[in-house]
Amino acid sequence: MKEFHNKECTCWNCPAINLAGKVDFRACGQSPKKFEGGLSRGETHLMAECKRRPELGLFDPMSMTFEECSEWRETPYGYLLKNMRVMIVGIDGYLGWTLALWLGKLGCRISGVDNFSRRGWVKERGSHSVVPISDMNTRLHAAKEVLGLNINFREMDILDRESLKEFIEEEKPEAIVHYGECPSAPYSMIDFEHASYVQKNNVMGTLGLLFTMHEAAPEASLIKLGTMGEYGVPLTGRPIFEGMFPADAVLKWDDREWSMGGELTPRDPVSFYHVSKVQDTFNVYEACKYWWLRSYDVMQGVIYGVHTEQLAADPRLRTRFDIDECFGTVINRYVSQAVIGYPLTIFGTGEQIRGFIGLEDAMQCITRLIAKPPEPGQYGVVNQMSGYSSMRNIAETVKRIGKKEFGLNVKIQRVENPRVEADRHPFEPIFDKLPKEFGFVQQDALDKEIVRMFKLLTQRHVKERIEEKEHLILPKTWWSGVKKEVERLELIKDENGNKNGNGNGKNGKESRNGSKNGKKETVTFDGR
Amino acid sequence: MADEKIRSVIIGLDGVPYGLLRAFAEEGVMPNTADLMENGTLKKMKSSIPEISSVAWSSVITGVNPGEHGIFGFTDIPPNTYRLTFPNFNNLKVNPFWEKDGSSSHILINIPSTYPARGMNGVLISGFVALDLEKAVFPKSLIPHLEEIDYRVDVDSGKAHESMELFIKDLNVTNEARIAAYRRLWERKWDTFMLVFTGTDRLMHFLWDAYEDKTHVYGGAFRQYFRRVDEIIGEIAGKIKETDDFIMLSDHGFERLDEDVYINAVLAEERLLSFESGKEARLANISSETKAFALDPARIYVNLEGRYPRGGVKPSEKETVIERIIDIFGSLSHEGRRVIKSIYSKDDIYSGAHREKAPDIVLMGEKGFNLKAAPGAGEVFSKGIFTGKHSYDDAFLFINRKEPQAIMPDEPTVSDVLDIMNRMKEGSVYEGVSQ
Repeated sequence: MKEFHNKECTCWNCPAINLAGKVDFRACGQSPKKFEGGLSRGETHLMAECKRRPELGLFDPMSMTFEECSEWRETPYGYLLKNMRVMIVGIDGYLGWTLALWLGKLGCRISGVDNFSRRGWVKERGSHSVVPISDMNTRLHAAKEVLGLNINFREMDILDRESLKEFIEEEKPEAIVHYGECPSAPYSMIDFEHASYVQKNNVMGTLGLLFTMHEAAPEASLIKLGTMGEYGVPLTGRPIFEGMFPADAVLKWDDREWSMGGELTPRDPVSFYHVSKVQDTFNVYEACKYWWLRSYDVMQGVIYGVHTEQLAADPRLRTRFDIDECFGTVINRYVSQAVIGYPLTIFGTGEQIRGFIGLEDAMQCITRLIAKPPEPGQYGVVNQMSGYSSMRNIAETVKRIGKKEFGLNVKIQRVENPRVEADRHPFEPIFDKLPKEFGFVQQDALDKEIVRMFKLLTQRHVKERIEEKEHLILPKTWWSGVKKEVERLELIKDENGNKNGNGNGKNGKESRNGSKNGKKETVTFDGR
Repeated sequence: MADEKIRSVIIGLDGVPYGLLRAFAEEGVMPNTADLMENGTLKKMKSSIPEISSVAWSSVITGVNPGEHGIFGFTDIPPNTYRLTFPNFNNLKVNPFWEKDGSSSHILINIPSTYPARGMNGVLISGFVALDLEKAVFPKSLIPHLEEIDYRVDVDSGKAHESMELFIKDLNVTNEARIAAYRRLWERKWDTFMLVFTGTDRLMHFLWDAYEDKTHVYGGAFRQYFRRVDEIIGEIAGKIKETDDFIMLSDHGFERLDEDVYINAVLAEERLLSFESGKEARLANISSETKAFALDPARIYVNLEGRYPRGGVKPSEKETVIERIIDIFGSLSHEGRRVIKSIYSKDDIYSGAHREKAPDIVLMGEKGFNLKAAPGAGEVFSKGIFTGKHSYDDAFLFINRKEPQAIMPDEPTVSDVLDIMNRMKEGSVYEGVSQ
């Protein structure tokens, strides 16, 4: 028998149940309150009905596991509900479209909403997706033709709550993946108008979604995209826990001690965009507390990559790929720069360390989260990254692969850092939950995905689209408010680079204190 | 009119014991009941085994024992699973009287264990357990009218854990809505009118001590509730025709609760029940070493190989396990008092097509000992906030006839009620009894 990460989850976790209420047979008592006064623990029982299997009648949702239920079927990523109804908010985006095809191929029934604002933001900055992408009609048609998927798309702004509610009531999603936010720190730092727009779009959009779920889909699980940037990088060097302090964390102060277990860890956002994500965190956390919604907040590391099997199946199915200062993520941009002979630009010293995750691995993580829905009322947080590294080492890695595999002459150049951030800092992220509790195993090493990116981006028509927007690569948005392009500084000499492309530039490896007793566990960027 | 059908009016007082009814009639708390008793017959009645509402009311409305109607408790476990289910009307294997007599029309209000309500000739409003009013009412066209009077199936028992004041208030509000519903529906044409008051049971669970102790802070509220129920009994009695059959009954009795006794904790102490390592003490997690487990209130099932997924008892060992369980509970005592009054094997008490689903053993407690299953309970004996518990042999049955020997057995049980109703209606008598 396979050891799936979710085999012991019960119907209590399952979004396909209706919680009818609670009974207490000690006093022949019933209560419409589903959650108050404790759960099914011995003498009071929650009563559930299965929306998919009404023949089961009323039953205690904790007395049946996914493994025992015929509605949960085996997939490579654990048990997954048959034809699970998943709604993707922001389905037209880099992640949203990729996930739609990925989950669709796993047998999920996909619906999605988008108002194409990402296309608009990139256009506003004068840029475009360097990998050509189709319009939504073409995408949907190709998904049907090539992959056999029927995706139910509805164009809407989620701030239009009435339309959102109507669509959710129609689709009855069992999971909602929320990618529908503006994901750019620089964009939020352009001026007041952009900052307020990002915060309104993100915070009010998410708040509206929470209210709508409360009203129309309280049993669905919400997978909400956060960012590792919410935490900042604590200069004390304390570990960056997964949202909450672990059970044995203790605060010592003034000769006294307090348990910190379960408390939200401090957030230290690094832009007005990141502030919006922190505000989301609190809103989602409160909604879970007040209304027993269930959510995973996914603190995603910097994303990179172009490949999934579905995206590669047809040019019309490709997801977007941005390289401009606002929407291009760092590894994606570095590969693009390498392709056109533009020096890879590292901000300041380039010693800033960030967590990263590949596109395909991110899809795997989200699938595994969907497959193990949180319990009602649970606000869970995962740090979704497969490794971490300094910017400089990332640049070295891209340079090495570009040179070795594609014969490119790649240079690395320091530029002024327009952001307000520490150039050198400790970095001790904890990212244990996905591998330990959700069975996540990294599939694609960084090198492999960089090779795939090079292969796609060196295609002539893509390369030309990169060259066309070359002038948008160098940052012009300063956190200070100054409006000027950053100054180019010196080129980095080859011998300063890290030869294997791993680690933080000192010994080629990162370590983290995810283990007890001070015993260090070594983690490289590419694997665990 | 000579051809006019004899109508039946049935009032259920959930859990009200014979002794309390007599006492309140004599004390003047229930004067209308006292008047009725002068012109009819009141008898003690035995409940079902186990003595709980879902089983007992299912016997009342079908006229058969659990081995036939298939309801053995509020909970059950389907074969080959450890899934804890809550049997409801769909699981009742014998049609209730109103479905057998489709030519008559019936108004049925708050009948326990008839959820979800289904089509019939007349009106059915299900009683406990019925968490969604939408599914508790037939015909659905009635729902807006019930919502208009803020009808609720039952009191929110959770309120008693917050505040007894709040609970009593909610109990009275629920009762008044029920009364309003009865008054509206009475005006329709019907052949059977059945109304069950279930607040009596809830009140006695939480405040039996207020019945026994007149100085209790809620002694007045307790009596006031019964006074109000009696007013409605009087109101209905005043409306019926002379030719109507009038029946009042309870499904089980009540008595003081001294101590809760956790049957699964006894089984665990005796190493007959254990849970998979590191998992919560829930039936879904029982280990394959388990020999037996209990469901509420004291139904014991042998964890038989072939019947349950982790059945740890071979068929050849079953009798030995049962004997051991009988020994254990037969000698169980607490502070010098015997705890278990009766130990029944399923062959002793159940007959019919669904007997195989029955528990292997059912225990009944001595006076004051409230038997519970609760696999998570750590201790065998404890005492919670409840002061009253069900009892088996002092439910009551009242009929507006003075010749009981003609139509009811000397010691009626809840399974006899339907037969008695039919005899009243048909005028038939027991063999050998002259009318």
